[in-house]
Amino acid sequence: MGALVSAFAAAGAKADDLSGAVSAMGDVDPSAMLVRLVKRVTFGINASELASAASLGYAGYLDQQLNPDLIDDASCAARIAPLASLTRNFWEIYRQPAAQVVNELIEAAILRAVYSRRQLLERMVDFWTDHFNIDVNKDACAWFKIVDDREVVRANAMGKFADLLAASAMSPAMLYFLDNHQSIAGNPNLNYSRELMELHTIGVDGGYTEEDVGEVARCFTGWQFTPDTAGSLAGIFRFNAAQHDNSAKRVLGQHIPAGGGINDGLTVLRILADHPNTARFVSRKLCRRFLGEGVPESVVRAVAARFVAADGDIREVMRCILAPQHMALATPRFKRPFHLYVSAIRATGCQIASTGGMRAQLRIAGHLNFNWPNPDGYPDRVDFWSGLALPRWNFAAQMMNNAISGITPDAASFFAGLSTAEEMAARIDAAMFGHEMPAAERRRVRDYLAIDPSSPSVRAEALGLAAGSPAFQWY
Amino acid sequence: MEPTPARCCPEYAELSRRGFLQAGAGSLAGLAAMASWLPRVAVARDYRSTLRDTIVWIYLRGAADGLSMCVPWGDDNYYLARPSLAIARPDSGAAARCIDLDGFFGLSPAMAALHPAYLAGDLLFVHACGSPDPSRSHFDAQRFMEVGQVSGDTSLTGWLGRHLASVAPADPLAMLRAVGISTGLQRVLEGGPATLPIPDLAAFGLLGNPATKTARTNALRDMYATVPDPLRATASTTLATVGLLDQIGFSTYQPGGGAQYNAAESLGYALKTSAALIKAQIGVEAIAIDVHGWDTHSAQGPVSGTMAMLMNRLSAALAAFHQDMGSGSNPGYIVAVVSEFGRRVFENGSLGTDHGHGNAMMLMGPAVAGGRVLRNWRGLAQEDLYDYADLQVTIDYRDVLAEIIEHRLGNSNIASIFPGYQPVNRGVLA
Repeated sequence: MGALVSAFAAAGAKADDLSGAVSAMGDVDPSAMLVRLVKRVTFGINASELASAASLGYAGYLDQQLNPDLIDDASCAARIAPLASLTRNFWEIYRQPAAQVVNELIEAAILRAVYSRRQLLERMVDFWTDHFNIDVNKDACAWFKIVDDREVVRANAMGKFADLLAASAMSPAMLYFLDNHQSIAGNPNLNYSRELMELHTIGVDGGYTEEDVGEVARCFTGWQFTPDTAGSLAGIFRFNAAQHDNSAKRVLGQHIPAGGGINDGLTVLRILADHPNTARFVSRKLCRRFLGEGVPESVVRAVAARFVAADGDIREVMRCILAPQHMALATPRFKRPFHLYVSAIRATGCQIASTGGMRAQLRIAGHLNFNWPNPDGYPDRVDFWSGLALPRWNFAAQMMNNAISGITPDAASFFAGLSTAEEMAARIDAAMFGHEMPAAERRRVRDYLAIDPSSPSVRAEALGLAAGSPAFQWY
Repeated sequence: MEPTPARCCPEYAELSRRGFLQAGAGSLAGLAAMASWLPRVAVARDYRSTLRDTIVWIYLRGAADGLSMCVPWGDDNYYLARPSLAIARPDSGAAARCIDLDGFFGLSPAMAALHPAYLAGDLLFVHACGSPDPSRSHFDAQRFMEVGQVSGDTSLTGWLGRHLASVAPADPLAMLRAVGISTGLQRVLEGGPATLPIPDLAAFGLLGNPATKTARTNALRDMYATVPDPLRATASTTLATVGLLDQIGFSTYQPGGGAQYNAAESLGYALKTSAALIKAQIGVEAIAIDVHGWDTHSAQGPVSGTMAMLMNRLSAALAAFHQDMGSGSNPGYIVAVVSEFGRRVFENGSLGTDHGHGNAMMLMGPAVAGGRVLRNWRGLAQEDLYDYADLQVTIDYRDVLAEIIEHRLGNSNIASIFPGYQPVNRGVLA
């Protein structure tokens, strides 16, 4: 318990929180807590991630992941360097075929999830990508989303929520996806206004009325982007004063005087970013993602309070969510297909060089990045995902059978130095499950290995079965 | 569970007459493979006598504009509210004008393919219909409708899932009672026993090294047998269903009645494979299908743009299904086409429409009292609109569903399916 107490203290807990946290954790083994943390902040554990976390301890590992800029990620950067669209401006991107830029965007998301050492950053990017969802299948969003991914989501994923929100509001991808670029004085388009409140900030029960939807829409009239006739200056946010409704508005009880121009929209963003219901709504969603669907309301309240106190600093909100006293209350999370596939690659030591095969697999499973049609982002509920088992089993089996283009399995290295089924099952338990593989499932995989422990195909298939096992579907 | 020859053989003879089932069945291997599911088919003959329909629940996600589908051309206010988006009267000279249905409503020209089903009395529109819940949030409104509640407790399972859970299976040996044509289970089916999301009925198999398929299947079966639900139920239904769907031969399925599905389009493909599934009579009682893309805030294009394309696909797929299922002696079906709410009566400044309230719902099937537009129309004058902007909801969608559940799905347990709601009989069935 000593290591845990010091870890907890280092994670910034006040002394009087400590006793409660320890009792809440009951008999949870400190190393089990660390494994749990690693599972929550990554796209899946493997032997090296666990070893690195063990050397840093709970607080040290958490602190490392909360400061992604300090993590050397050069090897991941080298892998995505050939994806030229990632660094280009809109006009350069726009002159490429849509399919090519979208594929590069998805390829980058996959490679980063697998290889980046900034794992928590990638989980946060995944979260905000859902929160501010944009479907690349909506016309120009194919080109706009690359810029949005870089300058809105990735740039602010661990920054201030208000900055993230404002960047999103000015993002051509969002302006296009939710039709705001066509919203004009006298006859506004309500699409962005409604989703801004319902999905991005205060939530559907956040206290806005139909009048507010109309008034907020008026505030954002004239928020557009430069057209493609602007050449190299195309696809950049611009405020078109001529199409802005400049008369007075009233939003959530606050008077917005006439003549505000672009400040009308900025004021609305500030009102929403500072609204206590935004703190609660976003905190609840983050808690659900990182701690479990049934997260206690008391935890949500504590996290929301931290959100307010830290002025929406996402890093501090995450530090609070991932603190040991909250991690102790975490319940199992069902891996969505992207998470499952990435975690299977990471845990089994497969190498992924190109992503055509992986993208096809994600499409079959219904979880291809940036392809959810609705503004609410891919669902995050076990009841939605748990019915579709075959793609989960098939991905692991095909990957280990060397049948997914771009992915190279390497069971030989995984089992290097081992000869018995028992030893190999033990390594699977350690590297893929952090020693938490249920005994019955471990026995069953061992029995499969025992068919012929020296056979390369049996070994590979056993890894596939382990990745398809019930316990591996959760984190 | 061995079939007796007396039960099995006539049924097998009947099955063999269906062209699409013959693939692979001519050989001994085919016979052996089919034998595993013949007993269930034999039982299917019994459940057909219960006259239960398979319900096909099609959800138009994003709030489809019912006023562009079933057009109130007899209401002048429609034309005043939509100077750019209105569809011309049937008696106008416009090239694209609606097809008169009853002297007041007209069918969108983009949905002309459905006119024969309407004339045959198999297609019913229920207008100014929907949920009385005032929400204009897609996600809340969809959830409420799928759960079968007006706001309130949405932690409930789906209404269709509750129906399935509260009625004996039509086929007592059915391994698969409901399918969501989706990668994730639609909420409407949550809580349903033997229910799976299956995105592609024709591609439902265990992959990997074929030589070890049995060994790997056994390992998966063992590992999942003792874990808690939902994964235990998912795995057992999945493993039971894999072999079953393999037998249906979707790829060689020949639709009846000369029906032409556009299988390159997702709804056409979903309905084609659904027809094969229903005809195979393996005990499937409900199929849920989603169609996305109806949130037309800008450039709605009901005549030649986005929405016209969506309506074209929808009506072509439904018309093919109607033709296919209507030819010869097929199991009963009923299609319900719904959307979370309608769109604002007045067009906005970007040639689109924003979120509204009341909407049109469609029912199709031999049991439907079709060839009509059922409504309690209050008009489109602004003072008659909901919030001065939207079509009223004058018929609760649950009235329509309750009648179907009781008379076509064999379940009178309406109180547990729609708790706290007393449905009104609207006479949607013949």
